[in-house]
This record gives sequence, C-alpha cells and structure tokens, in this order.
Amino acid sequence: MTGPDTSWDVTGGPDGVPGRAPSDVDMNQVWLGVAAQVWRRRPDLPERLAGRLLRSPGLARALVVTPSLLLAWVIASAVVLAAGTAATLGTGTPYVALLAPAVAGTGIAYAYGPGIDPAWELSRSMAISDRMVLLVRALAVFALNAGLGLVASLASGAAAAVTFGWLVPMTAVSALALAVATVARSANVGVVAGLGGWTITVLSGRAASGQFTAAVTSSALVLPYLVVAAACGAIAWCATRIPRGTP
Amino acid sequence: MNVQITEVTRRFGRTQAVAGVSLETGPGVFGLLGPNGAGKTTLLRMMATVVPPSSGSMRLLGRDPGSYASRKEIRRRLGYLPQNLGYYPGFTVAEFVEYFALLKEMPAGQVPRAVAAAVERVDLGGKARAKLRTLSGGMLRRAGIAQAIVNDPELLLLDEPTAGLDPEQRMVFRGLLRDLGQRSTVVVSTHLVEDVGAACSQVAVMNEGQVVFHGTPADLTARGEGTGAAGDAPLERGYSSVLAAARSSLAARS
Repeated sequence: MTGPDTSWDVTGGPDGVPGRAPSDVDMNQVWLGVAAQVWRRRPDLPERLAGRLLRSPGLARALVVTPSLLLAWVIASAVVLAAGTAATLGTGTPYVALLAPAVAGTGIAYAYGPGIDPAWELSRSMAISDRMVLLVRALAVFALNAGLGLVASLASGAAAAVTFGWLVPMTAVSALALAVATVARSANVGVVAGLGGWTITVLSGRAASGQFTAAVTSSALVLPYLVVAAACGAIAWCATRIPRGTP
Repeated sequence: MNVQITEVTRRFGRTQAVAGVSLETGPGVFGLLGPNGAGKTTLLRMMATVVPPSSGSMRLLGRDPGSYASRKEIRRRLGYLPQNLGYYPGFTVAEFVEYFALLKEMPAGQVPRAVAAAVERVDLGGKARAKLRTLSGGMLRRAGIAQAIVNDPELLLLDEPTAGLDPEQRMVFRGLLRDLGQRSTVVVSTHLVEDVGAACSQVAVMNEGQVVFHGTPADLTARGEGTGAAGDAPLERGYSSVLAAARSSLAARS
C-alpha cells in the first residue's frame, strides 16, 4: 500500500496536538479520496464532446482509443491524401478519388476487432456491447475519412462527379474491409481484402472503359456498390453476434 | 443463489468442452479445480456471458443471460478476469482500470474513487501512473484483478488469478478473495490446490467437461484419506483420488 499506514495513531491526544486527525476520520478513506483526485484522468475535448454526443462516457472512451482515430494515424491519412492532391494537380489524373476509398477501408479495418483490441475477450463481457463499440468506431472513422477525402478532392479541383463519386465506392470498400477483418479476426486481412477489392474494381473499370476514373464516375456501378456495402454490413453484424453453440 | 446452472453443455465443433454441468452457488468463494482441458475456462466464459451454452439453462444474479437486457444488467454487476488478459501497453494502471469501469457503465462520478480503491486493494498504488508495458507479469495480473473488482461485483469470475504472483502476493490475494466472498459470489478457476484450500468455502472438481466432485475442501480432503493417492498435502491427495476415480469410471464406460 502506498496509502497511510492505518495502524498509525490518528486519534489525537488530549493535549490536542496539531496535525493529528480526529478519531472519527478514516485515514484510509481520506487517502482514497486524495488518490482518486491525483490519479484521475482528465478527458480531452474530443472525448468530452463524444461523451455528450453519445451520452455514454464509456462509449466515448472506447471511441477515442480507436487506433485509426489516433493523431498519428489521422496525420498519416492526411499526408497520403495530400500527396494524392499534389499528384492530381500535377498529372490531371484524379488520384484523390482513387486513394480516398483505400485510405478509408484501411482505417475501418483497424477500427475494431480481436487483432486490434488486446483485451478483446474481456471487452466482450462488458455492459457496453462490442457491437455498439464497432458501430460507433466504424461510423467515426468513416466520417473522418470522408471529410479528409472531400477536402483533398476539392483542393485538387476535381469535377463534381469525381469529387462526390467516390463516396459510394468508399462505403463499399470500407464495408468489405470491416466484414473481412471481423470474420477473419485480423485487421491486416481486412486491409488486404479492401485494397485488393478496390484495386480490382479500378483496373476492371479502366479495362472496360479506358478511363481510370470509371470506378468512381460510372453511374452503373452505384447499385452494385450499395449491394456490396449492405451485404458486407450484414456479414459484420452477424460476425459480432454472441456465437451460438452447436448442440 | 447468484449462480444457477442446469445441465449446461458447450460444444466447439466436434469438441465437447462442457458436458452437462449443474451447479448452484451463493455468496462465498467457489473453487473450480481440474486438469488442463477439463472445461473450467469454458464454464467460466459462459458465466461471464462471453459464450452462450449449447444447451441447458443458466441464471446469473437471478437473471437469464440469454436476453439482451438481462445480459447487460448482469455485465454491469460482473467482474471477470480471463485466463489470457490482453493489455493496452500505452495505458497506465489507473487508465486501464478506469477504461473497464466505464465500459461496465459505472456512474462517471464514482469512477475515480472506485479506481483508486481497486488499485490499492491489489497493492498497486505505487504503480498507478506507470505504463502497463513497464510492469512485471505479476503486476499485470494484479492490474487485471483490479479491473475485475473495480465495480464491486456481485459475481466475480477469476480464471487462474494467481498465475504469475509471487508467494507473498498469493497470500495477500487469498485474503482479498476471502474478503470479497463475504458479500459476493466469487468463482475461481485454478489448478493450484493450495489456493482452494486456503480461500474457498466450496469446491468442484472438473474432468472431461463434467463435474466429478462438489463439496467443501474438507470433503475433498476426506476423499483422499487412506487411498494412497498421490500428493504432498491432504487436499492434493483428495484431488488426485477424485480424479483417479473419475478417470477409471470413464475408462470402464468406454
């Protein structure tokens, strides 16, 4: 124990020696009160805002410790998209539109799962369900990446069809990465699936139309993207249910 | 009764991890003994609502963990230390304990004091602000115990809690177990017979997914008397005797 030795004489003598605690004071409780204040963690602004928005300090804490929402990760994502912006401005090819879904898919795969959360087993016994944590983290990572992507896309001066065209494929790529990461219980596998799926789609679009941007500008692909996103979302939902036995 | 388990089974593919276990226990310290692979961890994981049973029924703290609302309420009042507890290396001890206090939906205003109390109870006050990556294995285990008791749980499930603790810490921990068992139901899975003898009021021995003995440590000791069973202490001889009988019974049936 680092607290006070409760065997100390804290009764205070009849001479009223200053500094001695009155007999009805539990020094152990006093120490706990002090320790609670000294060790108390002060939530930062994003956590306080998330706590108010989500109405749950626990969910807010689970959100702000998401690996792909940590500052270093966000900076890395911004740097990749900034490089894409520079390449777009330099070459005229809308690299931002092709990079944004890949960056978002990678972030989503690293948002949640046994490969990401060291105390995964313990987390699954908590009152705040892991499904809720998954949902909140995935939405937050998606929203952040959508914001970064839009800024990069606008900065690169892309046409409106390209600027907003990648939002739907980004949803599909993110859902694919999340579903695979959840089922395979590995963020890396999720990243490979998301990036692989997106690369195949982009190259297929180019082969079919001769344009790099076909994967984000073709209206014929919107429905397939949405179907993939919905199916992958359902897979992730099922994969995070409490597993049933096999009687 | 805080734990009521009736004919519970759990299969993983072709493996029958738990095969028809029935147990009831109220406040006190309940020891689960058994060799590796006996089904202790799976039984504890079912009680922790991490995995559901394949068949049979469970009631924990008077509730059915099969329904979402009841499961959530059970989890608020549950403490769980898994056998393989992962750690967030960048967290301090206090942050680690606080994280799980929040995930257990403790009122935010009560969390700092509860964290301080839990950290002090496991004698980690001097390391409260140390990063987990700097701690020894025994200290990490104690941090794990602190998160399990931070919400003053009514049902505390501990899987091999003394693994990695030095002898002095094990003695202190047994005292903590006895103290917690005054008000809560504490289920301790272990393969260390002396932990059971020192801290538990009831004990069950598991083998091949089944409970082959249920009684007090004194009853278990009595089962070893005059049998010539292996073991350095009377309780160990009782444990060996029960296991030997269970194994020969299984062999005769097969």
